[in-house]
Amino acid sequence: MFGKQERQDLVNENAKKMFIYFSALMDRPVIDSKGELVGELYDVMVKPSEVYPQSAQMIIRTGFFSRRYAVVDWADIQEIDGKEVTLKTDKTKLSFKEKHNNKEALTLRRDILDQQVVDTYNHKVIRINDIHLLEVDQSLMIAHVDISLRGLLRRLGFEKVVDFLVRLINDKAPYLENEHLITWKNIQPLSVNPVSMTIKINVPQKQFNNIPAADLGEIFLDLDMQHQSVLFKSLDLKNKAKIFMNIDAKAQKSLIEEVDPKEIVDILNSIPSDEATDILEQLPKDTSERFLSLMESKQAKKLSQLLGYSSDSAGGLMVAEYISFPKDTVIETVLKQIKERTFKVEPAQFVYIVDEVNHLIGSTSFRRLLLAQPQEPIQNAAFPKTYCVHLDSSVKEVAYRMEKYKYNAIPVVDENNVLQGIITVDDILSQVIAIAWRRLKKIKTKTTL
Amino acid sequence: MIKKIKKFWAEILIFLSIMGPGMITANVDNDAGGITTYSVAGAHFGYSLIWSFIPIIIALVIIQEMCSRMAVVTGKGLADLIREEFGVKVTFYAMVVLILSNIFNTISEFAGIAASAELLGINKYLMVSGSALFVWWLIVKGTYKSVEKVFLFACLFYVCYVVSGFLSKPDWNEVFASSIKPEFRFDKAYLFMLMGVIGTTIAPWMQFYQQASVVEKDIKLKNYKYSKLDVVVGAFMVNIIAVFIVIVCANTLFRHGIRIETAKDAALALKPFAGQHCFYLFAFGLLNASIFSACILPLSTAYSVCEGMGWEVGVNRRFREAPQFYSLYTAIIIIGAAVILLPGVKLIPIMLISQATNGLLLPFVLIFMLLLVNNKRLMGKYTNSKVYNFFAIGTVVAMVGLSIALLVAQFTQ
Repeated sequence: MFGKQERQDLVNENAKKMFIYFSALMDRPVIDSKGELVGELYDVMVKPSEVYPQSAQMIIRTGFFSRRYAVVDWADIQEIDGKEVTLKTDKTKLSFKEKHNNKEALTLRRDILDQQVVDTYNHKVIRINDIHLLEVDQSLMIAHVDISLRGLLRRLGFEKVVDFLVRLINDKAPYLENEHLITWKNIQPLSVNPVSMTIKINVPQKQFNNIPAADLGEIFLDLDMQHQSVLFKSLDLKNKAKIFMNIDAKAQKSLIEEVDPKEIVDILNSIPSDEATDILEQLPKDTSERFLSLMESKQAKKLSQLLGYSSDSAGGLMVAEYISFPKDTVIETVLKQIKERTFKVEPAQFVYIVDEVNHLIGSTSFRRLLLAQPQEPIQNAAFPKTYCVHLDSSVKEVAYRMEKYKYNAIPVVDENNVLQGIITVDDILSQVIAIAWRRLKKIKTKTTL
Repeated sequence: MIKKIKKFWAEILIFLSIMGPGMITANVDNDAGGITTYSVAGAHFGYSLIWSFIPIIIALVIIQEMCSRMAVVTGKGLADLIREEFGVKVTFYAMVVLILSNIFNTISEFAGIAASAELLGINKYLMVSGSALFVWWLIVKGTYKSVEKVFLFACLFYVCYVVSGFLSKPDWNEVFASSIKPEFRFDKAYLFMLMGVIGTTIAPWMQFYQQASVVEKDIKLKNYKYSKLDVVVGAFMVNIIAVFIVIVCANTLFRHGIRIETAKDAALALKPFAGQHCFYLFAFGLLNASIFSACILPLSTAYSVCEGMGWEVGVNRRFREAPQFYSLYTAIIIIGAAVILLPGVKLIPIMLISQATNGLLLPFVLIFMLLLVNNKRLMGKYTNSKVYNFFAIGTVVAMVGLSIALLVAQFTQ
């Protein structure tokens, strides 16, 4: 019946009818069942619980110098469109008050429009210019937010003029597409109540789990201070740890000052021990001791031991999490245990072989274990020789050895050859890069002098 | 005892790390336009206007402290807050006026650069384009920290005026007497001058700049007292320097009955009375002040417009990361420098327009500020106290009245 283009147009036409911008509803006249003017649509409260929040109530405003507000349930609305809002009830049933404050509810005008939110898809902090609403069964749902220049112009009332001018120049300009609409699913609102310091809504923060840790840290630093600590407090432990490891030392410090010490301890417990010691090292002594005292004793012991080593020696760089087995363990058991264990960090693919008192005897790799006979003791799968470094070895020495033997992790032992930890290639790489940079800078300043 | 001394030094150190936004904002008040106004005030009315600097200090502290407090408590710029609380339309039109007013202000700063180049015997074209390039490079390539250091360094050069004040050998007894004894004359010229002196003190760009820079500096609530001190020290510093400008001109030009129109006239007229050194100091001071302000005014505009429109903001970002911010900054500098280099440009209408747009915008900005700072939802327990509000509202009413009066006066003259 229809050509392809016509059908497309029809679909677009229907889509247009179903979607409406909040800017088109804002300040529209509200008329009661008898056709009398009640006031204007001021704000819309939504139920925040769902993925796409649905309109629940409408706030009507009246008067100019002495403003008064009335709240109407969404069920009492007869019809709503871009021209006016018609109510089912009549004017006398409404009660106007001087305030409409509902601290718990999420409202479009106060909490979303013009506010800053986190775009969890593009990993940015953005400001909302308009809200794209979807009409479903007489109610409205937040479908998208608009952050485009066009949205801004729409709010200012210049959209049609500018659209016309742009069409004159280029009919297919990217400006005319709705590409700057961001689906609400990816939006994390940040409205903060400064008195109680809570985020008003707590949408399940699944979205944050999908953001790479480094980006999450960057988003966090983009926020203003108040939002930072509030957002932080509302996250789960995993995301907290993710952020904590990916912000600079200054931001870490200020978080430590503001957040409950117990929470910090939980974070320190859940991150790799070398990261934890790095953080503790930067704190004043009494603060770091307080954290250690709050920790469970085993972890505290491990960390305070690590803290004792100078940060540019092998002891300061190493992680205390590694995989080791007594020399007689059967390979089958080894593989089974590796599968069952959970790791805080992705372990380097080495397994260390020790005796009863943790003396380092040898090492082997996952690959070797897989290829070996399952019934044999682990010792038989060991590399012919295992090289290691000492606790007080310098960064250079560690780097040199790792490069020489092509290790992506090297074991660290004390003076009695007792295994203390391992250093992975990424830990050493960042150190080496830092040294290289310092040198380069020195050379540069020398040459410019 | 030792502990006390240690604590004292620690506090000084914290203050040194916090100070900046207040001091810089206040000092830019003594820009090319400010120096002209104070020179004319000194030359035409002698010491008789010095008393007005005491209420100016109070007004400056009250207004700027509120900005600083809002920045520390909310972590947002003034334009951010206006957008979030009063909507996009109001913000947009306020920003249009702000851009206009700051463009004209920037033009007059470049005029100051050109004038001081002529005084110092340097090629005007070279000087103007050189300084434009310098201020552009400073912001685009710098970080907030490095830029602030340069600005604080520029603040030091205002000492020029203090030295030149001493060189003019004033009678200090007379200066002190006239600073505490308000002398009020009801002739038209005196009232105009008074309005001019007070009117140049508080301009809309200052509130935006101060708040944005406190936000960018990331000052914490617990360090707020130092930020407050920063504002107070800045207000005193700028007004003491202004008083010295008045003293220099009063002591030489007023005594000999010389009439002047601009800061350049003032410097030239100084030469025979106060000597070569005083002349050079005065001219160099003007150059420093003009370059400094030619940097801050476009920066303040870029901050506020991008905050208000929701674009990326910050000296710490790169051009690619905050294109609108840097484009706006660059455009204003180019316009400012280019207009002044056009042959046959008249400065008086430019100054008039800049003052008119300032006067138009100031009432709105101050009233928004009062509403925002008293908003419990934003400020929690850090809203103004009743007593503070009494003074703040008083100041705002006085400033609004003055700027409107000045506006009317200028266009009916």
